Amino acid sequence: MFCIIAFIVLSILGIFSASNRQLAKEALDCVLRRVTLRPCTTGFDEKMKAKILGYVITRSETGARFLNRYFEPLSWIFFFLLVGSTFFAARGVFLYYTTGSCNGLNQSGFCVFDPTGQNTQFSSVDESCPVTSGGDVVLTLEGVNLSGFPRLTGGANAKPIVFIGSYGCDYSRKAYPMIRRLVQRYGAELIFLYYPVKEHSDYLAKVGYCAYKLDPQRFWDLNDRLFAADKSRLEDEAFVQGVLEESGFNAQSVQFCAKDFQTEWVVKQQLAEVRKTNFYGTPTVFIQNEALIGPKPYRVYAIALEGLLYWLK
Amino acid sequence: MNITKIRADFPSLEVGNGRKPVIYFDNACQTLRPRQVIEAVQRYYQEFPACSGRSMHRMATEVTREVDQAREKVAKFLNAGRKEEIIFTRNTTEGVNLIASALNWKAGDVILVSDKEHNSNLIPWQMVAKRHSAILRVVHTRADNTFDMEAFEQALKAGPVKLVAMGYTSNLDGVTIPAAEIVKRAHQQGALVFLDAAQTIPHQRVNVRALDVDFLAFSGHKMMGPSGTGVLYGKYRLLEQLEPFLVGGDTVSSSTYETCQFLPPPEKFEAGLQDYAGIIGLAAAVQYIQSIGFDTIEKQERLLNEFLSEGLEEIPGVRLIGPSDPRLRSGIVAFYIEGVDHHRIALMLDQMANIAVRSGQHCVHSWFNARGVAGSVRASVYVYNTLEEAKLFLDSLIKIRKVL
Ligand SMILES: Cc1ncc(COP(=O)(O)O)c(C=O)c1O
Repeated sequence: MFCIIAFIVLSILGIFSASNRQLAKEALDCVLRRVTLRPCTTGFDEKMKAKILGYVITRSETGARFLNRYFEPLSWIFFFLLVGSTFFAARGVFLYYTTGSCNGLNQSGFCVFDPTGQNTQFSSVDESCPVTSGGDVVLTLEGVNLSGFPRLTGGANAKPIVFIGSYGCDYSRKAYPMIRRLVQRYGAELIFLYYPVKEHSDYLAKVGYCAYKLDPQRFWDLNDRLFAADKSRLEDEAFVQGVLEESGFNAQSVQFCAKDFQTEWVVKQQLAEVRKTNFYGTPTVFIQNEALIGPKPYRVYAIALEGLLYWLK
Repeated sequence: MNITKIRADFPSLEVGNGRKPVIYFDNACQTLRPRQVIEAVQRYYQEFPACSGRSMHRMATEVTREVDQAREKVAKFLNAGRKEEIIFTRNTTEGVNLIASALNWKAGDVILVSDKEHNSNLIPWQMVAKRHSAILRVVHTRADNTFDMEAFEQALKAGPVKLVAMGYTSNLDGVTIPAAEIVKRAHQQGALVFLDAAQTIPHQRVNVRALDVDFLAFSGHKMMGPSGTGVLYGKYRLLEQLEPFLVGGDTVSSSTYETCQFLPPPEKFEAGLQDYAGIIGLAAAVQYIQSIGFDTIEKQERLLNEFLSEGLEEIPGVRLIGPSDPRLRSGIVAFYIEGVDHHRIALMLDQMANIAVRSGQHCVHSWFNARGVAGSVRASVYVYNTLEEAKLFLDSLIKIRKVL
C-alpha cells in the first residue's frame, strides 16, 4: 500500500528532482511486484519507512513509536486521502480547462491555475450594489427580446452567441476579440448587447444603436474599433466622431440620430431588455444556454460552443 | 596530536549537504580524505598529467620520479626490503586475484582461509580450487571470533598446504589475527602466507619483514588515499617466480610476433597506464598517516571503541559481534538487534543525525549464512572521529531502540 502512495507522491516530486525520480522508479517496481503478489525486492518500502521514522523520531518519539506500530493502517488512510485529493485535483483541472475556474463555471474562490482570479473577474453593472456572484442568480435569455440588437448572422444552423459588454470595461475588451475570433472560426451568430458600466453614460449605446441602424455592415468595424480604442477618450464625442469616420460612417448623421428622442427611448428599452437576463457584470457571454461571466480563456468559449473536441472541428 | 587539528584537514567533515555535518562511521568501507591527499591528486592533473616511464619529456620525467618516490615511500612504510616489492593495484581485491592467478597451482594444493573472510579473500580461492582442483579449507575461529591457533595448526598438518590466505584484521569485527605466529608456523610446514591487510594497514604499524609474510595486499581508499588505489607487497624472490597476471603494455621489455620478454617485478605486474594521480595521492596518504603516527590513531580508535562498546552493551537486545573486549576490535563495532532490521537502523541514523554506518553482511556473507544471522550494523571509526560523535550515535540508537 505504502508503495502506491510513495509512487504517486514521488512521481510528482520527481518532476523537480532526479533523486526523487530514482525513488519513484523503485516505488513503481515495488508496486508492480506487489500487484503480482510478490514482495518488494529493492527494499523500497523498508527504506522509505526508515527514512520517515528517522525524520519523525527527531520531533517526537511517541509519534515515531505510533507510526512504527500503525504504519500499514496509516498508509491505507493516506492512500484514501490521496485518492480523494487526486480526484478533487483532477476535477479541478478539468473544471479549469472547461470553465476557466477550478471551482466551476463563474465560481470565484482560489484556483491554483488562475491565482489572481483573472478568468472570473468582471466589471460590476452597478458598483454601488453588492455584487452577487453566480450561484444564486439565474442568468437567462428566456423572455429577452433580442430582435433589435446588432446581429452578425452566421451560416446555416449557426449557433447564437450573445455578448453583453461595455467598450470601457477592461474585461469586456479582453473577451471581445476572442468572441470575434470564435464567431469567425466556427461560423456562429453574434448578437451584441452593449451595456455601459461604471461611469459611462448611455451615449455610446445610442451611437451603437444608430450606427447599426444606419449601416449594419459597417457597425462591426466600428464595434471592433471602439473595443480597441483608448478607453479614456470614449466619452469624448469628438473622439467618437473620429472613430465613426474611420469606420466609414457619416459621423454627423450618427450624431444626429443619437440625439434623437426616439433613439433615447429605444435604447432605454434595450437596456431594460438586457437587464432581464439578470446579468450582473460584463462581459457576460451566452453560449448554448450557458452564461460565462468574466473573460475566460479562448478554449472555454470554444468548449461551450463546440464541446471538448472543438479543436478537431 | 590534537584531533581537532586533524579534523580540520578533512573538508568532507564540514559538508552536511543541507543537513548537520556528517558523522562518518563507515571508515572500514572507505575513509575520508585529507586536503594533503586531495591536493596531491590535483597536483598531478594540474602540473604533469602525463605517462610515467614511456616518454622522455619533462612532464613524463616528473611523473616517473613521483611514482618512483611513491613506491619508495610505501616500501619504507611497510619496511619492505626493496621498493620493487611494491606493486600498485586498484585495490585489495586485485592483489588477491593477482596472487590467485599467478601462483603455480597443482591439483590437491591446499589453501587455508578463516571462517570470516571478506568475499575478496574467499571467492578468488574458490575459483582456484575449481580451476586447478585445489582444496579450499576453512579454519574456524573460536566462539568469540578470535583466532584459534590449535585449529590452524591442525589444518596446517592435515595436508599439503600451499597457501595460507587470511584476513589480517577482519572487517566484520575488527579482530586482528596473530600474523607473525601464523607465518612462522605456516613456513615451518612449507606453506606460503598471503595477508589481506585491508583493515590493518590504516590502523596499525605493519612491518612485512618482521612478519616475514610472503604476500600482503591493502587498499588506498581505506587509509585516506584516493579511491581505486591499492598495493600488493610480495617478497621479491617470490614475485620473480610468479606468472604475470594482466599482461600487455609496460609489462615487457620487448616482443616479437610470437614471444615477449617480461620485465622484472614490479613492472611485470603493472600492465597498461596506471592511475598515476592515485599512486601519488596514495603516497601522500602514507605520509599523512606517518605525520599523525599510529600511536595517535590507535589511541583514538581504542577510546572510541571502548566508549561505543560500553554504551551499546547497555542497550537492551543489542548483540555485539566479536570479542567483548573492545581493545581486540580495532576501530570496528558491529552489532545487531534481534528482530530489528539492520538496514532500518542505518537509514534512521542517517536520517536522524547524518550518521553514516554500514548495514548488511559487509561482504562476509559466508559468516552470516553459516550462523543464520541476517546482518548487522557496523560502526567503524577512525582517527578523526570524536567522543561527541560517538555519544550522538549512542543517543540516536537509544531513541531508535525505544521506537522499534
Ligand atoms: C578485510 C577486507 N578485505 C578486502 C576488502 C576489499 O577491498 P577492496 O574493495 O578495496 O578491494 C575489504 C573491503 O572492505 C576488506 O575489508
